[in-house]
Amino acid sequence: MNGVSFSASIDKRKGITLDPRTKLLLLLTVTTLMLSTSNEGLMTFVKPCLSLVPFLLILSERRVKTAGKYLLLYAVCFLLERIALTTLSGLLSFTVLALTSIMTRFAPGIMTGAWLISSTTVSEFIGAMERMHITEKIIIPLSVIFRFFPTISEEYQAIRDAMKMRGIRFGGKNLLLMVEYRLVPLMVSVVKIGDELSAAALTRGMGAPIKRTNLCRIGFRFQDGVVLLFCSVCVGLFLCQQFMML
Amino acid sequence: MIRLEHVTFSYGEDGAQGGGVQNINLNIETGQCIVLCGESGCGKTTITRLINGLIPHYYEGKMCGEVWVNGAKVSVQPLYDTARIVGSVFQNPRSQFFNVDTTSEITFGCENLGQPAQSIRERLEKTVQDFRLKQLMGRNIFQLSGGEKQKIASAGVSMMAPDVIVLDEPSSNLDAAAILDLRATLAAWKSQGKTIVVSEHRLYYLQGIADRFIYMAAGQVKKEYSAEEFEQLTAQQRADMGLRTYRLEDLLSPKALQPATKQMALRHFCFAYKNASQTLCLRDCNIPANGIVGIIGNNGAGKSTFSRCFCGLENHCGKVIWNGQSYRPKDRLNTCYMVMQDVNHQLFTETVLDEVLISMADASREAAEKILADLDLTEVIDRHPMSLSGGQKQRVAIASAIASKRAILFFDEPTSGLDYLHMKEVANVLRQVRDRGMSVYVITHDLELILDCCTDIIHFESGTIIDQFPMDGAGLEKIRSYFINKKIINAPK
Repeated sequence: MNGVSFSASIDKRKGITLDPRTKLLLLLTVTTLMLSTSNEGLMTFVKPCLSLVPFLLILSERRVKTAGKYLLLYAVCFLLERIALTTLSGLLSFTVLALTSIMTRFAPGIMTGAWLISSTTVSEFIGAMERMHITEKIIIPLSVIFRFFPTISEEYQAIRDAMKMRGIRFGGKNLLLMVEYRLVPLMVSVVKIGDELSAAALTRGMGAPIKRTNLCRIGFRFQDGVVLLFCSVCVGLFLCQQFMML
Repeated sequence: MIRLEHVTFSYGEDGAQGGGVQNINLNIETGQCIVLCGESGCGKTTITRLINGLIPHYYEGKMCGEVWVNGAKVSVQPLYDTARIVGSVFQNPRSQFFNVDTTSEITFGCENLGQPAQSIRERLEKTVQDFRLKQLMGRNIFQLSGGEKQKIASAGVSMMAPDVIVLDEPSSNLDAAAILDLRATLAAWKSQGKTIVVSEHRLYYLQGIADRFIYMAAGQVKKEYSAEEFEQLTAQQRADMGLRTYRLEDLLSPKALQPATKQMALRHFCFAYKNASQTLCLRDCNIPANGIVGIIGNNGAGKSTFSRCFCGLENHCGKVIWNGQSYRPKDRLNTCYMVMQDVNHQLFTETVLDEVLISMADASREAAEKILADLDLTEVIDRHPMSLSGGQKQRVAIASAIASKRAILFFDEPTSGLDYLHMKEVANVLRQVRDRGMSVYVITHDLELILDCCTDIIHFESGTIIDQFPMDGAGLEKIRSYFINKKIINAPK
């Protein structure tokens, strides 16, 4: 019903306006660096900085609660990770470490990705991709993703409601069956929507072999420069560290 | 001008799937509005697809004959060229927009055709004015009502300034007010000299706009009527043809239905969604039980929220007192069942029989078969629920509700997009369920369904019940004035 949460915020544009290309670069930097290295040397400073990125972005949209939740989650995991590394030992240390490092490594990337999708309109995204001279064969499927996240979440909620009405008895049997019960109706409706969507897009001239007009104004601004600088510093430090280790 | 010459089409590779149309010959003059009518599966939709080129370019099948629009062969011309002259509005408002925000959606078609940015901007401004869309601009489409979505779709088509507009059951998911909006849009297009082709079940809103009615059956054109000829058909003649009413005023008064005799009490029914103002706030009241109660009201009046709260889908809302017992939301989850508008969401298993068995506290094949037989589902007992027709799916959902011994059934727009016979079928099922002693509540915008089977009415507006009455003489007047004497809101110029 009301819960299409993470693509709902373009109603009134708040927060930092970045070019979609900058956003992609930022996402790439955050995900690669957070996943790729251990927490030693320079990266002890770089990583917390990177993990603050989604916090700041979400905060700038004045979604204080979401930003706060993320920060709290990250901080707790981060601290636990440190404790596990320094004071705990044995199986306990291993378990805590495994759980918390998954969280600290993945959460910033996921949050940045969610922010990218929620803060970019399909049209901006297409515009940016075109500027990067990417072929339409890649742009169209990628742009459909923006449209499909909220669709899937809408459909999934309806199915969850239906499950709830069928009662607990209905679900308890086994996990695999539970997954199947949820996925089958989801697939059926998503495929149907995708089919109708393609038809509608085609009747509106999608795929014409002409240069598409794009009304939205994208382009690099001052804030893009700042983000660019930040990304290059982070990547630079990362490369520095790799180099020193050799 | 549109010309179909000896067109035959059947779906699927080598035309194996059937459906489709046979030997269609049709001439549509420029500036005319024609209506394709007939039962579900009669080939109406296929004709709209032949005109906008989705057949043969998107839907596969075997095609003979030729379709001409403005002198161009649609089957040869690529789709993006047809898109310049033929605009399309579809049945399902949820699946016909490509963007997430309204503004980009309206300009989407023009952008695809590579029109200059300045001219698109100017046209956008004019379209926003004509359709009075100012408040809808820059919004997230996922948060709009069905009527608003359909309006955005129409505006997007209008932007591209096509000569021909085809609409495939555009009113299926709309409420009474939104249908009047749609009517106004069609009237505006007609006055601009556009050729309009509408495939529809609901016919009443096309009065005064349609010039010609094409009655189809089994993939063929059975008869053509001018608007005057169609007007002169009696209500009974149209019903015999399987068509919905043409004049709401004509609808027969209901057979004497026994109004609800019992009541249930509602306490503390107030609810607000997260980050939204209160959408539902009822004073403590009694509503009719053990009848077929129609729930009416405009979109956003709180009908869906009420039914969600009543069925216990929202955890903390309200108490129902019935038969001296008090039901909290959790208890109601096991007492009520809602048959959703998109019934696909609530069928999970691999066979119809499983669907019923899994709902039973102690599964017994015999009992399950009995329930299915009562609902006329014996023949499809081993089929996959997703392979059934819409009406059968609805009945499977009802069967599972009966199997899990629910006493209260909610229906969310069970007749949206249904033709006359299928609407009648739903009405029969509702009566049958009621005769089993269940209390039935139907959220609906369908006056024909209400007159056919509802015993009582609850009228919602701005989050509260503003009226409730049995369907006696006075009630009939009220319901008619609600559906018939509505004013047109937000008509495009």
